[in-house]
Amino acid sequence: MIVEKGDVIISVKDLKKYYNGEAIKALDGVTTDIRKGEVVVVIGPSGSGKSTFLRSLNLLERPTSGTITFNGTDITSKATDINKLRQKMGMVFQHFNLFPHLTIMKNMTLGPTKLLGMSAAEAENKAKILLDRVGLGDRGDSYPSQLSGGQKQRIAIVRALAMNPEVMLFDEPTSALDPEMVGEVLEVMKQLAKAGMTMVCVTHEMGFAREVGTRVIFMDCGKIIEENTPEQIFTNPQNERLVSFLQKVL
Amino acid sequence: MMSLLSSVYAGVIALAGEASQSSSGGLGDLWNRLKDDFINNFITQKRYMYLLKGLGITFEVTFFAALLGIFLGIVVALIRSSHDKLKDEMRPGFLKGLLGFFNFIANLYLTIIRGTPMVVQLMIAYFVIFAASNNKVLVAILAFGINSGAYVAEIIRSGIMSIDNGQFEAGRSLGFGYIATMVHIIIPQAFKNVLPALANEFIVLIKETSVSGYVGLQDLTKGGDIIRSRTYSAFMPLIAVALIYLVIVIFFSRLVSLLERRLRNSDR
Ligand SMILES: Nc1ncnc2c1ncn2[C@@H]1O[C@H](COP(=O)(O)OP(=O)(O)O)[C@@H](O)[C@H]1O
Ligand SMILES: [Mg+2]
Repeated sequence: MIVEKGDVIISVKDLKKYYNGEAIKALDGVTTDIRKGEVVVVIGPSGSGKSTFLRSLNLLERPTSGTITFNGTDITSKATDINKLRQKMGMVFQHFNLFPHLTIMKNMTLGPTKLLGMSAAEAENKAKILLDRVGLGDRGDSYPSQLSGGQKQRIAIVRALAMNPEVMLFDEPTSALDPEMVGEVLEVMKQLAKAGMTMVCVTHEMGFAREVGTRVIFMDCGKIIEENTPEQIFTNPQNERLVSFLQKVL
Repeated sequence: MMSLLSSVYAGVIALAGEASQSSSGGLGDLWNRLKDDFINNFITQKRYMYLLKGLGITFEVTFFAALLGIFLGIVVALIRSSHDKLKDEMRPGFLKGLLGFFNFIANLYLTIIRGTPMVVQLMIAYFVIFAASNNKVLVAILAFGINSGAYVAEIIRSGIMSIDNGQFEAGRSLGFGYIATMVHIIIPQAFKNVLPALANEFIVLIKETSVSGYVGLQDLTKGGDIIRSRTYSAFMPLIAVALIYLVIVIFFSRLVSLLERRLRNSDR
């Protein structure tokens, strides 16, 4: 199935995730579509379910109910090969999660060689190109502990890209960074968006949301309260919870 | 210094019921007595062979028990940590039931082995479970290996648990399955973290095998004891046995700290 720009890649219907029976409703009925080429920015107060939503998309969290389809197949169904599916969805974490026992090069080639059947040389060539693109072409032999936070996060992004994903998921990729390193990571994400990557980003960087986002989703209490273009969200917010949230963060 | 030593030695000899001739404790006299004692305990009738052969048995039992222990420990640790990690993710069914069953067996094993003394386990193994077998070395290897496996399992499991869950999620999010994530990402890091603890377990095992004599296996300790029973002199053979253990333990401890330094350096 060929997905064209504007086609729906991920479709989420009435997604719920409860903890402790029904005591905690991390997600309480989320419905939305993510289309090819979109940069969807998810905002909302802490504990509103943003991470749970994002992590449900590649089933790092198993939803309590609801459906998620990816390129038309129901990924919550038993028959779906979840590992194959995750190869197509890159994920970037707040705390980078680089593999500390491997060099940067090995971090980047582990997936492609073991999962995509690439030869070592092929994977390394690809990794070099990606590393060059984020300005870290000379760090292939370093270990993660030798890099700064901003460098680590840029590596984490290209490590995910090395798997040729169709979608990239970001969970607060700049929240663990020193302020002076936020820019370099956002810059990489901006390039990626420009290149047409479909992205879902949980972030508190409102500048990024406004400038790069094609759509903003505002969540609170496990629900999508409002979704619209950045323009509308920031200049013409409707829901009062969004208004007060924006007042706090802007 | 010398006189202190000599008086200590004279005291020990007296304690061992060994004061033969009345002596004024001159240095030459002491030296002669030491020499006689040494010859009597180790050279006469090639008695040193008891120690040498015993040492061989001690090494043999320790080495193979350690191998068995590592194997059992890895299996049990994997069962336990897989059960912890996968019990929420797996759908109810045969596989989940099987893992639950294995986990129950693993817990039972850990409880029994860590809740009873090694000597008792060894005697049960020899006189009850393998009563039909006369192969003392093999029974000892099994008993010590099964015992060590319980401790190794907990060492390895703590190593696996010490790895940040983010590592696991990063592996899974790239598309690695549970087993591949364990093999490529978690276990290499966990193993590196627990290598010193595993080496220490090996050192403990060397000393633990000294109870082998309870089932009549002639290990190093039993060898010294046999000499004692032949010569009626306790000091020389027992001190010799202690010294041999000490040298071995110091040697392996040095190796461990060398290893630790290497590992720390490779962390950068
Ligand atoms: N494993 C868990 N057990 C219990 N509650 C959880 C768990 N994970 C998340 N939650 C709860 O779910 C809600 C949403 O969490 P999260 O998605 O992390 O929010 P956000 O990313 O927007 O800060 C929070 O109230 C959080 O405490
Ligand atoms: Mg979060």
